[in-house]
Amino acid sequence: MDIGGYLGKILRVDLSRSKTSIEELNESFIKKWVGGVGFGARYLYEEVPAGVQWSDPENRLIWTSGPLSGSGVYGAGTFNVASKGPLTNLAGCSQANGFFGAYLKFSGFDGIIFQGKAPHLVYLLVKDGKAEIREGRHLTGKDVWETEDALRKELGAKEKEVSVYTIGPAGEHGVLYSAIVGDRGHLAAHNGLGTVMGSKNLKAVVTYRGKRNFMIKHADLLKEKNDALFEHAKGFGPFYQWGTGGGFSALYGIGCLPVRNYTTNIFPEHERMNGQYMRTHFEVRPMPCYMCRVGHVKEVTVTEGPYKGFVGEEPEYEQLAAWGPQIGNTDLGAVVMLTKEVDRLGMDCNESSWTIGWVMECYEKGIFSKKDLDGLDMRWGNVEAVRAMLNKISKREGIGDLLAEGVMRASKKIGGEAADWAIYTLKGCTPRSHDHRGGRWAELFDTCLTNTSTLESTWAGVHTQLVDLPVVSDPFSHEEMSTMNAKFNGIRQFDDCLGTCRIASPNLKLQLECLNAVTGWELSLEDVFNTGRRVINQLRVFNFRHGMKKEDERPSRRYGSIPVDGPAQNKNIMEKWEWMLENYYALMGWDPKTGKPLPETLKKLGLEDLIKGL
Amino acid sequence: MNRVTIELWLWLGNELKGDFQLLSEMRSVKEENVEEGTTIRQLLDHLAKRHPRIAEKVFDLTKRTVYPYVIVNYNDRIISPYEVYDKVLKDGDKITILPMYAGG
Repeated sequence: MDIGGYLGKILRVDLSRSKTSIEELNESFIKKWVGGVGFGARYLYEEVPAGVQWSDPENRLIWTSGPLSGSGVYGAGTFNVASKGPLTNLAGCSQANGFFGAYLKFSGFDGIIFQGKAPHLVYLLVKDGKAEIREGRHLTGKDVWETEDALRKELGAKEKEVSVYTIGPAGEHGVLYSAIVGDRGHLAAHNGLGTVMGSKNLKAVVTYRGKRNFMIKHADLLKEKNDALFEHAKGFGPFYQWGTGGGFSALYGIGCLPVRNYTTNIFPEHERMNGQYMRTHFEVRPMPCYMCRVGHVKEVTVTEGPYKGFVGEEPEYEQLAAWGPQIGNTDLGAVVMLTKEVDRLGMDCNESSWTIGWVMECYEKGIFSKKDLDGLDMRWGNVEAVRAMLNKISKREGIGDLLAEGVMRASKKIGGEAADWAIYTLKGCTPRSHDHRGGRWAELFDTCLTNTSTLESTWAGVHTQLVDLPVVSDPFSHEEMSTMNAKFNGIRQFDDCLGTCRIASPNLKLQLECLNAVTGWELSLEDVFNTGRRVINQLRVFNFRHGMKKEDERPSRRYGSIPVDGPAQNKNIMEKWEWMLENYYALMGWDPKTGKPLPETLKKLGLEDLIKGL
Repeated sequence: MNRVTIELWLWLGNELKGDFQLLSEMRSVKEENVEEGTTIRQLLDHLAKRHPRIAEKVFDLTKRTVYPYVIVNYNDRIISPYEVYDKVLKDGDKITILPMYAGG
């Protein structure tokens, strides 16, 4: 292949027939879709027609690296997973960092497409341009850490010799928010991609490290731009020094910390739960991803409180919020414990904590009795009850069977006023662990309008100047925010085509220069926007074909409610929701009344073939 | 004279040590006497002239506005950038300055 950064090969794995095959990628396809979520979006549309449900063997599970994965760009071990996911029964796209994206390429492939369903549990081994479907029944019931250990032992592989991504008990039991977890604590977590994997009886995928086997067109230029990217990353937000938890208190300050299921925004304990506190009080050790110099991923040992001595991955911001304020817990050590527990079981921490927080509110308000909850005392902050409940959910035991359906379905089943307390979008996915009613309205709007099942367009509505767009002066302006979300859209999806980490590579223009250095292309910022928007429109057409309704592009009642206290008290995003939708649709080139991409929009993006699909 | 409190969250605390009291790794504070009728803009202007790092990171002395993605809370409530500058400070008021950023 004459383009740098690619192998030009996709591995297809037919689990029903227990066969693997290799397909060549052509250059025009590569240039049009770039990689990562771009490849995933297109394959999903071409191979999963309307009528196929997420759990059907005909559904696809598409793992794709990007052109920068393994290129030497710092921290670029990222890959994308795309499928039709169970929470929305629409497209789901999610990325995981670690090593897999790089190792997959070193093993000879730009991506893997899984189809069909194995007759029993199996795993896939990828090495030296070959793949083998292997017996996996001995891994039944193992959590993700145990599975990693078992496979390394079975293969006689050292820790960094292989990358292992797997499902845990949750994925085997069909919990609708199961994640794909690997490389000791990285997750492709959104929209139940691990549930799809479980439905195919695929327990794990192992890739060997191998050696770089693709071309870098301009190595010296890549080094220069890569170093510039690192310098930028060092000064980008608080992440380099404090990790993503470094912004925990700042998010509290703008009303974005979710506290007790959005019933309040007061959490004075925030300074004992932020990244600054953790890194100055707990023992911290580096656990960097592939070739990462930023190194925001760590392992910690708890040094105080009831969980003193507990060792786990350092919670990221989302986990701090999910297992701290959202469930009324004020002990940082307990956050470390629950973070490890939910990862170990193989579940998305966001959906898990929205579900648990809703259960706790229902329990405190008398909707659920202790008996209803199998004897668990689910009062705010009871972290051991939360641990027990997570385990029940992961095996669909007792009340866990209902809660394994996720917060939207569980709350609808209970009904009454409890149905109004659940936090979700009407499509069925849930937000990341923020209170988006604070200074991140951009993300509330984005989460509701997403075509990927997680954030689609924004960087929280900020850093627009990095791609030559005007700054947003007021995060609570309905007009400014919906307009900027539309103008910004495309950037995030392009980023997710590349196989890079958003924390280690937070400057799109420099990433673009790295991409051009690797591939030999001369793409412009306009090309970047067009590629990202092509991905979005591709996924949107897929979603409309699979039953998405414009009416579902809204938050649940609680998600879109007005904060009763805190920094964003009385801010009301919903009062102009319909206007915002029409404004956004029009700016995206979509029909303002239906939200469907207009034919001229699709033509401009080279997607003429999709017009008939609408 | 009115006495007001200024808090800086997340950054600059260490660099302004001496004038600002460092309360934690992410929060520093100082109290300031301001004359009757002083607005938030005038207070920020005054602080920026005294501290080059505030002029560099928080308040643009040329435009006399806060920089993009700097949030100002007035008595623990986010205040719109359209009203922040002309707000007249009262005795006991608290101004919190914190960054808006993506990620996390």
